[in-house]
Amino acid sequence: MFTTVLVLLFFYIPILLLVLNSFNAARFGGQWEGFTLDWYVRLFNDGPIWTALRNTLIIAVSSTLVSMVLGTLAAFALHRYNTRLQRIHYTLIYTPLVVPDILMGMSLLLFFVAAGLQLGLTTIFLAHVSFCISYVAMVVLARLQDFDFSVIEASQDLGAGWWDTTWRVLLPMLAPGIAAGGLLAFTLSIDDFVITFFVSGPGSTTLPIRIYSMMKHSRNMPIINALSTLLLVVTFIAVWSSQRLTREKRT
Amino acid sequence: MMKKLMLGVIALGLAGIMAGCGAGKPRLHLYTWADYVDPALVKKFEKEFGCRVVIDTFDSNEAMYAKLQAGATGYDLIIPSSYMIKTMHRQGMLLPIDKSLIPNLAYIDAEHLTHVIDKEMDHSVPYMIGHTGIAYLGSRVDDVEPSWAVFDREDLRGRVTLLNDMRETIGAALKFLGYSINSVNEQELAEARDVVIRWKRNIAKFDNEQYKVGLASGAFLLVQGYSGDIAQVMEDNEDIVFVSPREGTSIFSDDFVIPATAQQVELAHAYINFMHDPENAAANIEYIAYLCPNTGAYDLLSDEIKEDPTVFMDPEIRNKSEFIDDVGDALALYSRMWDQIKAAE
Repeated sequence: MFTTVLVLLFFYIPILLLVLNSFNAARFGGQWEGFTLDWYVRLFNDGPIWTALRNTLIIAVSSTLVSMVLGTLAAFALHRYNTRLQRIHYTLIYTPLVVPDILMGMSLLLFFVAAGLQLGLTTIFLAHVSFCISYVAMVVLARLQDFDFSVIEASQDLGAGWWDTTWRVLLPMLAPGIAAGGLLAFTLSIDDFVITFFVSGPGSTTLPIRIYSMMKHSRNMPIINALSTLLLVVTFIAVWSSQRLTREKRT
Repeated sequence: MMKKLMLGVIALGLAGIMAGCGAGKPRLHLYTWADYVDPALVKKFEKEFGCRVVIDTFDSNEAMYAKLQAGATGYDLIIPSSYMIKTMHRQGMLLPIDKSLIPNLAYIDAEHLTHVIDKEMDHSVPYMIGHTGIAYLGSRVDDVEPSWAVFDREDLRGRVTLLNDMRETIGAALKFLGYSINSVNEQELAEARDVVIRWKRNIAKFDNEQYKVGLASGAFLLVQGYSGDIAQVMEDNEDIVFVSPREGTSIFSDDFVIPATAQQVELAHAYINFMHDPENAAANIEYIAYLCPNTGAYDLLSDEIKEDPTVFMDPEIRNKSEFIDDVGDALALYSRMWDQIKAAE
């Protein structure tokens, strides 16, 4: 019990401090110098931050959706077939999990330049899909390993075709795994800095790139506290309402 | 429900991209540090030249350089620090500056140009400059001599910090001893190493980030810090005093360069010219609180900025100060000295 409390404190005190500092008049959070909403006002007037947030969300949502589809298919192939080709496939899927980000960013950049692709949101999207697939595939694969395939056989025995089996039996049962993989992919995509930095082009600065580049000269650093607080609130509302929705469905 | 929501988000995003591409205006792609220009000036430039300025940002010279080296293109104007520009120029990554397109070059501080690496403005034009100095809490530290010797003061033991930067910190000791900040003489460097080791026994730590918070809250009484950082800390704590050491210090400069792959070369020149218009330069100095070395702008500044020691340096001290320049093979020597400093008890 005591350790639980300690661990929770360890996790949540930094977040609490961040929220408090977003209302702190002091620029450097060393001490409390009075309540202010100034950082929020500055945040709403800061165009580049919102552009960066928009870019980040476009990339995160699109690359998550695509990698959920591709990752699930990959996991399926890996699980069903045990050929030499699939063992190579497994290595390919596994590699992005262990390759350092900087190596991946650099090699993707070299590849895109060699392929003559214009750097921008498209190249960031491609790069994010390529590492998100691995995470989705791994999560779904774990789920498939505990999967009882006799259910599929039962459904086929009862006259369901390939389509019905997939949509009404297989996917609903795998859904939690796919969703978990998707959430992981979304989180990784939203805060990826190293790979994104290398493959981004003109007009595609994302939020992490913007924040890092503010370290050096920006006088607006504390607006990041304000932005993080807003994102926290949005996340809490989303989680809370999704829990409510699922609860209502059950009753 | 969830699917519809996601589709909506994607549609919105796509609409956003389309709207951006729809306008047939030329675009100037600027690659720079975040919040390093007055946004009102960018709007004014867009209006005057009927174009769009797209700003992308990097967080370190090295990362930006690595990216361009690998072949990233699409940027028309970049603002790196001068030491990195030297490397980029050597690699043939930059276009020469066409001076006939930038009449406002006439305003650039001739005295400043005597210090810089690219004195002829052949491939770079100065944008903003700053320097390293000493900041302290006026009410808690008495009789501070504006000299690097303050790091020897025993009454401040454990309450001062030096920068955690090889060239800056060894450079401070070199200036203290009266040598060049870019010395490649092993004897001089060994002397500087011994000075830093002596200081090390007196300081709390070598630090590049936390010193700002520490100074604002009073945990540290005196620090070696960058002028731009200190200017921000001063907004939090009015007790802070900033001085430039009389032996001289290091100056840095971020300059405009046009990469060889630029598409909008003329517009890039126009942007440099626009930012060096005295009125615009003055507005920019007021906004970001660094010094744009533009003599036309100096008179237009508010008294507050004119008297700000983090922006303007005493000309006499400035004459003794230097840019941190590439030291070639001697860099290994610096690294060795720095390792010995870090290992010393």
